[in-house]
Amino acid sequence: MEYLSCLWAFCACFAFGLVYTMRGKTLAFASLGGAIGWLVYLLFGFVREDLFQYFVATIATAVYSEILARVMKKPATEFQIVALLPLVPGGGIFYTMEYCVIGNNEKFMETGLHTLGIAGALATGILLVSSIFRIGNPPYRGLKKE
Amino acid sequence: MEHVITSCERIKIDRCRKERAGARNGGISTGASSGQISYDRLVNTAADIGYLLIANGAEISRAEESMRRIFYAYGAEEGEVFAIPNYLSVSVNAPEGRPITAIRRISSHQVNMNRVDLANDLCRRICRTKPPFDSVNREVRRISKLPTVTLPVQIIAYALVAAAFTLFYGGTAADAAVACLCGAAIKPVCWLLEHFHVNQFFIYLSASFIAAAITLVFANSFVTLNYDRIIIGVLMNLVPGVAITSFMRDIIAGDMIAGVLRFTESLLVAAAIAIGAGIALTSMRMLLGV
Repeated sequence: MEYLSCLWAFCACFAFGLVYTMRGKTLAFASLGGAIGWLVYLLFGFVREDLFQYFVATIATAVYSEILARVMKKPATEFQIVALLPLVPGGGIFYTMEYCVIGNNEKFMETGLHTLGIAGALATGILLVSSIFRIGNPPYRGLKKE
Repeated sequence: MEHVITSCERIKIDRCRKERAGARNGGISTGASSGQISYDRLVNTAADIGYLLIANGAEISRAEESMRRIFYAYGAEEGEVFAIPNYLSVSVNAPEGRPITAIRRISSHQVNMNRVDLANDLCRRICRTKPPFDSVNREVRRISKLPTVTLPVQIIAYALVAAAFTLFYGGTAADAAVACLCGAAIKPVCWLLEHFHVNQFFIYLSASFIAAAITLVFANSFVTLNYDRIIIGVLMNLVPGVAITSFMRDIIAGDMIAGVLRFTESLLVAAAIAIGAGIALTSMRMLLGV
């Protein structure tokens, strides 16, 4: 049952939201975002290219957060920080370290670069969505003079 | 937590001193409704709100924009703000051309979304209704004293995060039980080290070491455990998810310095976690032959 991991993603995000003192509806919707992101990752499993899967999943969570932020009138980061957690390459960091400790340099380089690639995919996804949502809503720089 | 309160108190003392000085110099009238506003109090109020936002984990662009909007709401024509994750300064020109500047050093950070939420709402309300500074200051003080999560709840939450992520990465129920224990073990360690003002990277390093060491001791006695999944699940508690998310958002918003600072932070935290778990792995291999 592959899709059960979405439930675990939801639980993990929920507990993390508690650490970040999130409350009520914000907490529930942010955790749901984490589950949705992972579901998108799994649904795009057919491409067999996990960097692309991470990229699409990040776009899904970021769009979800930006829309919710506008609906609920809350900062988008609140949703995004929690919803992105299941995609953060914790496993990659660990296996990179383990290969380094064992002394398997080839695998170490390979895993390390792959982990960096995942982090890059996340960053690019956030960049894309955040930039698009800022169009027509420029940052408030300087005061207008009459 | 203690840091925030002491800083707030310092701010309060500063403000009192400034008000007294203002009164001696035949200062400007207070209260926004009387037409003329106190620029000293405006600068302090804006700096307090910016401090509240940044110290509790809001993005830099949000804090800067909030402070600018407050200046604009109270009609301060020339106001400048600048903030990076551990420093902010605001400056206004009073009508006679006298510049007024306030600087805040943000020494401790935590993520408290509830406070960010309320500070954000307060800011929207200020821009709409322009309340007098007294009521704004009261509200700021109330928000900055709102309780954070208590230690027992945090321990439970850490344990839950560890168990859920272990299952998420494909661990069994037995793995999740061990992860639960490790997650509950690292929070008191972090808390104790923070209490003694140990630097952040050493805290991450020791927490990661302890998580990996406990897991390997268990894995040595019960061979069916997937030690890698347990360690990854527990370490997700420490992984710099916030820094990874916000560095990109800061850079897009044009706050390059803030973005680069957070990027460096996330690299250092990741390295600290890896080193901690690495020490545990090598030493346990030598001691137990796992």
